[in-house]
Amino acid sequence: MLRTLDLANLPDADVVALALEGRDAAHRELIARYERPVFSLVFRMVRDRELAEDLTQDTFVKVLSHLDRYNADFKFSSWLFKIANNVAIDHLRRRQLDTVSMDGSPHAMTADAVEASRFDVADDAESALDEMEARELGSVIERAIATLRPEYRSCIMLRHVEGRSYEEIATTLDLPLGTVKTYIHRARHELRRALEHTRE
Amino acid sequence: MNHRHLLPNEIDLLVDGEAGFGVAPLRAHILECRDCEARLSDARVVVDALERLPHLAPDSRLADRVMAQVPVFVPAHVAARDTVTRWMPRSAAARVAAIVAGTSAAASLTLAMLWLAMRGDAVVFMGGVVSDRLSAGFASGVREVTLALLGPSALAAIGATGALGASLLVVGFALTAVCTVLGLRRLTLAGRRA
Repeated sequence: MLRTLDLANLPDADVVALALEGRDAAHRELIARYERPVFSLVFRMVRDRELAEDLTQDTFVKVLSHLDRYNADFKFSSWLFKIANNVAIDHLRRRQLDTVSMDGSPHAMTADAVEASRFDVADDAESALDEMEARELGSVIERAIATLRPEYRSCIMLRHVEGRSYEEIATTLDLPLGTVKTYIHRARHELRRALEHTRE
Repeated sequence: MNHRHLLPNEIDLLVDGEAGFGVAPLRAHILECRDCEARLSDARVVVDALERLPHLAPDSRLADRVMAQVPVFVPAHVAARDTVTRWMPRSAAARVAAIVAGTSAAASLTLAMLWLAMRGDAVVFMGGVVSDRLSAGFASGVREVTLALLGPSALAAIGATGALGASLLVVGFALTAVCTVLGLRRLTLAGRRA
């Protein structure tokens, strides 16, 4: 019998193998490991909480329903992020969005809906002041990220929020390594200009 | 001093913390050139801000919603293995004992089947004898019961009419029993209502 503690200590490849054996707990472990990174990436791509929830759900349903197609030669997280990015990009191709709010969905019609769509920020801020400063800086950079092209956005998020190497990003997004470097360079440049503008 | 300012990709190398030997001259240049130092500092502000961005939490019911749409299929070989594992004792000694007992039982059954297969005629003969004895015993029992309940004249009448008479008797008995039960039930219900 599988216990949660056992699963938490296993590498991704082993958890995937258990999920392929039809273990419900292994599926849930994969969701627990990656729901925040995937949701964060998708949200920062589409910038709408409810939509990001739906797209994150679609991503996990696709991944977990087709686990047999996962190639264990690559990192599971790279495959997962590739699908999450594709889901978000597909959506953006169908619909153009250009506003961002950390304080609730722009489509919320009532105060309750705004409150319900606020973020639980998974942050380790040491004090209320730290938290406020982090939130303020976070808001500025979030708004700046929102102005980037979607391809730049996914590259910069994978590089600096998920800590992926250039090579991993190239594999994940099916892009040449040089293109990834160019996108990240341009994204940093645009973000720097946006932050300078804010400071002025 | 090298008077060429760093190129954007060279600033990126420093921001990314690259450690190749080609980076050493770039670091040395930064120590001497205030313009490039300022550019590097600006670039680091952006990267630091990005790296401080938190992970955002989705709705806590995400896993349930996902699992409601994911068909979880347990392959037959896994189900069989799980069943064996469930029945297998936990301690090593008990497991060895179970394996020995199981192997012995399987070997005994196999030998018994082989023995029976080699003596097919004897098995058919024995089966016929046992079947005849059982059917004769059953018929005798039924006759004794009928005689005790209905008397010798009824038994003679049933014997005269054969299978049809016996069938009518059984159907009549069943109908009487059912009608009696239904009548008693109705009486009980009427008594409760009153």
